[in-house]
Parts: sequence; structure tokens; C-alpha cells
Amino acid sequence: MLRLPVIRKAFAGVTQSTKGCVRTTTTAASNLIEVFVDGQPILVEPGTTVLQACEKVGIQIPRFCYHDRLSVAGNCRMCLVEIEKAPKPVAACAMPVMKGWNILTNSEKSKKAREGVMEFLLANHPLDCPICDQGGECDLQDQSMVFGSDRSRFLEGKRAVEDKNIGPLVKTIMTRCIQCTRCIRFASEIAGVDDLGTTGRGNEMQVGTYVEKMFMSELSGNIIDICPVGALTSKPYAFTARPWETRKTESIDVLDAVGSNIVVSTRTGEVMRILPRLHEDINEEWISDKTRFAYDGLKRQRLTQPMIKNEEGLFAYASWEDALTRVAGELQRVQGNDAAAIAGGLVDAEALVALKDLLNRINSDTLCTEEVFPSAGAGTDLRSNYLLNTKIAGVEEADVLLLVGTNPRFEAPLFNAKIRKSWLHNELQVALVGSAVDLTYTYDHLGDSPQILQDIASGKHSFTKVLNQARKPMVVVGSAALQRSDGAAIHAIVSTIAQNARAKSGVDTDWKVMNILHRVASQVAALDLGFKPGVDAIRKNPPKLLYLLGADAGCITRKDLPKDCIIIYQGHHGDVGAPMADIILPGAAYTEKSATYVNTEGRAQQTKVAVTPPDMAREDWKIIRAISELTGVTLPYDDLFQIRNRLEEVSPNLVRYDHVEQANYFSQANELSKLQVGNQRFLADPLVPPQLTVRDFYMTDPISRASQTMAKCVKAVIEGAQAVEEPSFC
Amino acid sequence: MEVGAEYLRFIRRVLRQVRDHGGLREAMQHQLRIKNFKTGALIGVDKYGNKYYENKIYPFGQHRWVVYTAEMNGKSAGSEMYGTTVPPEWHRWLHSMTDESPTTHPPVARKFIQKNHKLNPTATPEQYVPYSTTRKKIQEWVPPTTASK
Amino acid sequence: MAGSGGKVVAVVKPIFSRDLSQAKRRVRELYRAWYREVPNAVRQYLLNISVKQGRDKVREMFMKNAHVTDPRVIDLLVIKGKMELQETTRAWKQPTHVMRFFHETETPQPKDFLSKFYAGHDP
Repeated sequence: MLRLPVIRKAFAGVTQSTKGCVRTTTTAASNLIEVFVDGQPILVEPGTTVLQACEKVGIQIPRFCYHDRLSVAGNCRMCLVEIEKAPKPVAACAMPVMKGWNILTNSEKSKKAREGVMEFLLANHPLDCPICDQGGECDLQDQSMVFGSDRSRFLEGKRAVEDKNIGPLVKTIMTRCIQCTRCIRFASEIAGVDDLGTTGRGNEMQVGTYVEKMFMSELSGNIIDICPVGALTSKPYAFTARPWETRKTESIDVLDAVGSNIVVSTRTGEVMRILPRLHEDINEEWISDKTRFAYDGLKRQRLTQPMIKNEEGLFAYASWEDALTRVAGELQRVQGNDAAAIAGGLVDAEALVALKDLLNRINSDTLCTEEVFPSAGAGTDLRSNYLLNTKIAGVEEADVLLLVGTNPRFEAPLFNAKIRKSWLHNELQVALVGSAVDLTYTYDHLGDSPQILQDIASGKHSFTKVLNQARKPMVVVGSAALQRSDGAAIHAIVSTIAQNARAKSGVDTDWKVMNILHRVASQVAALDLGFKPGVDAIRKNPPKLLYLLGADAGCITRKDLPKDCIIIYQGHHGDVGAPMADIILPGAAYTEKSATYVNTEGRAQQTKVAVTPPDMAREDWKIIRAISELTGVTLPYDDLFQIRNRLEEVSPNLVRYDHVEQANYFSQANELSKLQVGNQRFLADPLVPPQLTVRDFYMTDPISRASQTMAKCVKAVIEGAQAVEEPSFC
Repeated sequence: MEVGAEYLRFIRRVLRQVRDHGGLREAMQHQLRIKNFKTGALIGVDKYGNKYYENKIYPFGQHRWVVYTAEMNGKSAGSEMYGTTVPPEWHRWLHSMTDESPTTHPPVARKFIQKNHKLNPTATPEQYVPYSTTRKKIQEWVPPTTASK
Repeated sequence: MAGSGGKVVAVVKPIFSRDLSQAKRRVRELYRAWYREVPNAVRQYLLNISVKQGRDKVREMFMKNAHVTDPRVIDLLVIKGKMELQETTRAWKQPTHVMRFFHETETPQPKDFLSKFYAGHDP
């Protein structure tokens, strides 16, 4: 099996990329116009800017305010280039090319223009690079080295600007600001929060929030990345490391089910910060604040040594030998379904398959996930029932979107950003059934009762017409809506709505309508591997031995279990699960293991080892493998390759990294659910997603609950940004 | 003849030293414990029971000595602890930093001088162990101290 | 190597020995030198081994390469052996360097999964 995505794609010859599906339009070759870049001819579409044309031949024009994913502002003037026979240099980012133009990117005039602009920019920029956190990754620093003058003619005093407190995540040193307005455009276009703006004119111009308040967005950390200078830097990362001394590991985020691609910067065996990595189909180049700033939770409340509860009911540190022997002894004592396991939200596919194999070898099949999912009808047997089938990038093609019982802004911030992008550029029509929440874009609120779904399905509701006329409709139901006691009925009715929309609107057969939006990273992999969703089986049939694999949601407590039940907790944080256990086995967090996670659209991705697990903690699947050997049912894999072969045996999509395996059988799933669920009654309760405001967003899992930065965010949201103000050093 | 007188003087000195020790048995005990046969003037006794002697007929460096106390601050000063039972004021006199013994010239009272001289705690459980003052990279979870179950 | 299956006879420049018998003679000379050196080394370095043990070790080191038949390879091994011998006779070594041939203080690397697991993160 070829696991390298590039090679596999090359062999298969499949193009799955949906890159740039928003703005590109196919143009006939005759429409192209010819321009010259430094005499080099190139054919471009009409409307292409000078800067893009230069990019096409591989010449980078220096710029500060221009950004690929933001609107064009044209106010920094750094991209001035000379056009042959034009009287003045033009701003390359804002000027569309005309036929026959010769763009001179390296002429004397262009160079002089750049040098002049740079001199003006530096006139008011402080010379504090040695203490600036942007040092080493600063656009102004780099470009002044390349295009700037080698001496200064500036003798006057510099302008100084008061710093703003915009919350516990972003540090502002506004004197350094060069007024590129990238942050303002990001806030209003991508994040959808019109908090930032400019006041004053000319030398008095300042970027700020008008009145002192927090920049309250779940994507606020991204303004740190797009700021070309050190005006906006990361508050938790302030003065901790330099970019050239950190080691970068390309990894995957697991704090939500989107699976954002990230870069983990580490130094001296410690995670220093987390940055986004480009993936056009998932997170583009943004990540949510939880992804970016919850990393300090990885350093607190960690389980670092095995522990065994003694006779007095107190935890005592133990060696791996003792702890594993004890676990193996307990496992040998129980047989069949007296042993059960629960997998939590941050568990990787390798650990899941190892645990399943281990319990299956002692004849137990009670393996559950904490996240509930209705199992009536086809349940989890058909993958299309539990995936975001349209894919995250698919929303950019859709024209009608129905959200059911979900708040994507906080359950999957990057998915929400995609919806907003589509709403902004593609006139996506959004409707919502569930609690009215602020999604950063306008939508039709159809109500919050599940009865409305019934009306839409039967055609009584006016929205049915909208769905039926849509070219590419999408229905997204939040996993929380399916976790109520009438979850099966909601799943069935949503499936019917999707099926109807698909049949009546006459979309292509390969367009998927039905989508489930998960909230935890492990759920799709667990369901792919055949875990039972929900812990009902354990409640009904209390086991004598319970294996908690990172289960920290607290859905099973001591009260649900018989008195002599042995609880084994394996995980990386002392949160909810660890205190109630008898034996604690320290595992590795997502930055410490090479592991497979499947995101909500069914895309398998792997995390990489950035730092080693702390102290005596070990990779999760290795712990289970070691237990199996001591129990006498040795699992047949010793290294990562062997266990991935096993994963492939069970479910091949789990090792086809960065590939979305399409799921199908929507109509069959719908028929089955209709048959089995029948006319199950809906509850009268409204559909309320679990995360209503930004306050609920920050702490949702053991890592973010242990994070001080996230705690500060919650405090700042409740009490205002002043509550978490820290003394500033510069 | 000269040699005979020499021997006679030596025997006489030995006998006088035995007498000064207070008998043959005491002299032998002293020999066993201190491993020398010197006698001299008792200059003083500190509050821990160390006795300090001086005899100028011995060459410089050997002219002052101490007979250690058997126990100090309620603790038995084992043979390897003897050296540290000497308090600082007597240490000065013993090592000829001064000729004024603390009995005639008691040390000036200062508030930072410890009231009771202590034995060196090295190689005992009370010894000082250097510890790291750097920040912990990983803070581990501390299990609850109240018993459950 | 072109897949013809025919043996390619490469004419190579000899290092010292023109054929195997010459190479073998050099090996025997080196062995004899080592054999004579062992008692000196044991005395000189105050090694805690008997002369017999030392000579056994020398024999073991020679026999480890008994399968080599290429005279060039043998010559190189002999050169390396001579270097070792010189370092030993001239006391360019410390006793620990000599005793390193006996692997007394080395702990074996964990081989099976469980001992690797106990040993550390990624042994």
C-alpha cells in the first residue's frame, strides 16, 4: 500500500483538489492577454493584477498590505513597479494588467520607488528588532534588508502609539504598526467580527478597536500570522523563543474534528508554539484559537508515571512492570463481556485498534466511545451515515446550506470560516434549525423545534421549496443533536430531508447532501474500527473491569458500576477519568506520538512526534501491546508499520493519508432508518448545541481544560479584557 | 656515658608523663584514644566538653591539641566526627591564629553567631542537597490526597 | 553487472599481497606478533585477565574474519590489526581501551518489544 499521498495520487491519476473553486472561472484560451514581465512573455486572464502576473513567472513583488486571501487595499505602496512607457510606477497589487504591458520589476525606477517607500515606513518604525518577537520572521525586517537603503537620513523624533489591550491572546505593540490594515480586513472578511478599524488620518492614523474591548473571535490568533511586522504578536509566546532556534514538526490538530494542519514549534523538548500549515481543503492557512493557544495545557496536569491505588484508596507511584503486571492479572481474571472499554475524544486510531484487538482476544466486545451516535437503522454500519460527506471544501460549491442543531462557529471554527467564505463570495443561502446563535453571517432561522424538521421533510415548510430548487444543497447536522434520546429519529428525518433534496433538486449523483459534523477527533476512526457509540451497553450490563482509554467526558461514574469493578485509566491528563481509576497508565498527547486521526469528513491524517512523552509516559498503542503480552494474548504487531498494516486490514481508509474515501448508499441508509426508526416521536425540547457563545468554546477537552491561556480567555470573556491584564515589559 | 644519660632523661620524661596522665592505665587509655603520649597544661574546656592543652616543649604545630568530647548536643560524635566538634572560637586558638584563648578573651557576642555549635551534617540525613531552581517543563498531575472508594 | 550472468573479472590493484597465500602469510605474521605481545600487554596495563584469556581473545578476533577470502580485504584488515597492535605496544591506550575487546561493561540493547518498552521511549 502506498502511504505517501503524492505518490499515490500520481499513480492513481486522480485529481481531488478543489483548490480555488470559489474565484476561478474557466476561460477560453482566446480570452487570454499577453503581457511581459521583464521582457518575458506570459499569457494571463483579463483582470489579473500586475502582482499576480509576476507571481506566475516566479517573480515576487515585495508587499505588506497585499494578502492572497484578503481583499486588495493598496495602501502600503511597497509593490510599486515600473510599467514601460507609463508615466508613474503603479501599485502592482491593485492594477489589472493591460495587453502588451511590459512590467519592469527590477528597473532603476522600481528599485528607487521601493527604497523610498521603505524609507517612509521606517521613519516611524521603532528600531527594537532585538527585543521584538517578530524578529526573524518579520516582513519589514527581511524586505528592508533586500530593498531598503543602507543609511538613514532621518533625524526627527519618531511617532509613538499607545498599546491596546485586545485580550489575553494577542499582544499589541502599536508603535510598530505600519497600517497595512491586514488585521482589519481579516477581522471583517474572514473572522466576520467588525471589531478592528482605523482612527485618524496621516501621521495620526491608528489601528484599534475604537473603544477598549476584547477582540472576540475564535480565529483571532490568525492576525498574529498575517501581521507583517511585530505590532500583533502572541501573548503566551512573548519573549520565549526565536523562530530560528525552534524545531518545526508538521502535525495535525486534534482538539476539534476538523483536523487542522499545524506546525508544532519545539525547543529543548518543549512545545513553544503552534502555527497553522497550509491545507487548501481543510483549514487554508488559518487555525482556531483553541488549536493555536491550548498547547500550554500539554505541560500541565500531565500523567507522567504509572499509579496504582493502594488499600487506603490513595494513589501510589508504581513502575511500569508493577502496573502492567497488575493490569494483566486483572484482565486474566475476567472473561467475556465482564471486561469493557471506553474510548475518549482524543484517542488515535492505532490505540483504538490495539484496544479492540486486546479485548476481542479475551472474548469481550463491549468497546464504546464516549460520543453518542444513534445506532438504529443502518447506524454506524454505513460510513455515509456519520461523515461530513460533502467534505469541508465542498461547502464552497454549495448554494443552500441547512444547519441542524449545531453551532459550527465553535464546534468547527474552520468549517464555519469556509461557510462564511462561501456566503461572502458565492451567495450561499444558510438556514438554521436550532438555537439562534451568532454565526458571523446572516441565515434564516427556521426555529429550534425538531418538529420543523418533520415539516421540511413532509414538504409543509416553505424551506422545502428552497431546498428543492437548490443546485447543490447541503444539510449539516451537529453530532450534539444526535445525542439526545430522540437522536435516531433526528438522524432519520435529516436523512429523509437530504434524500428528498437530492431527488427533487436533481443534482449530480456524486453530490452528497447529508452531512454530520462531529466535535471530537477520535469519533470517525472509532466508528470506522467498529466501536459502539455511546456507553449504554456498559450502563445496562455493568462490567467487572473497565478500561478507560482517554475517556474524560465523565459519562460513566463509579455509581454506574459494581463496587468491585476495576477501572484502568490510560491517558495523558489527570482530568475526570484518572481520579476514579484504580490503575493509571500514562499515555502520550497528540504532539508526542506518531498517530492516525480521521477528521469529520473521513480524511485520515497523521500527527508526528514533536517532543517525547514526559517522564515515563509511553505511546498509547505500545502500552496496550505490552499489556497483551503480559496477559498472554500477544498482539501481532511490534512497531508502527505493523500496527498500521493491521489498521489497513480492518479499514484501509485509515492509512490512506490525506485522502477522503467517499462514502455512499444514502438511499439504502435512509430506507433502513425509515424501517427501523419508523415514526419515533420527537422530544419537545428545542435543539440546543452545547457551545452557544465564545465562552463555551475555549475549554472542551482535557488539554484545553488544563491550559491556563484558555482559562484566561474564559475569564476575559466573562469579566472583560482588563481582568487578565498583565504587566507589560516593553 | 653520654648515651646512658640520654636514656635516663628519656625514661624520666616518660615516667613524668605517666604521672601527669594520672597512672599507667590512664596513660595507656590516652594512648589508645588520642594516639599520642603528650601531656601539657589544660588551657580550657569548652561547653561541649572538649579539653584544650598546650605544651610549648613540642615544636610549633604540635604544641596545642584537643581531647575531644565523647558526645555533642546529645549525639555521639563518632570517630569521624571529632574534627567538627571544635567551635569556631577554639578553632582559632587551636590553629594558632591567635594566642589569646577564649577562656581569657571570650568572643564578642554577635547576633549571627549560632548559640550552639553543630556537628557537620555531611553524609547524614540532615545534609544539604543542592536542588534545581529552574522551572519544570512538565507539571505532573497530583493525585487527590483524600481517599476514595 | 549487466545481467549477462557472466563473471566479470575486474583487474584490481593489489594493496600488498598479489594472491591469497601472500595475504595469509601476512595474517600469520600479525597473529604471531599479537601472540607474543599478549603477556607484555597483560603486565604493562595491569589487566585483570590471564595470558590464556588474552590469547583466546586474539584468536577470537582473528577467527571472526576467517571467512574473508579477498586478498585486498585481508590486507586492509591486517593493516588495521597492525595499528591496534602498535597502539597497544606503545601504550597509546589506557587499560580500559584494551579491555573494550572483552565487552565487560556493555549492557545488551533490548531486543524484544517488552524490554524495549520498559527501557525507554524509543530504544
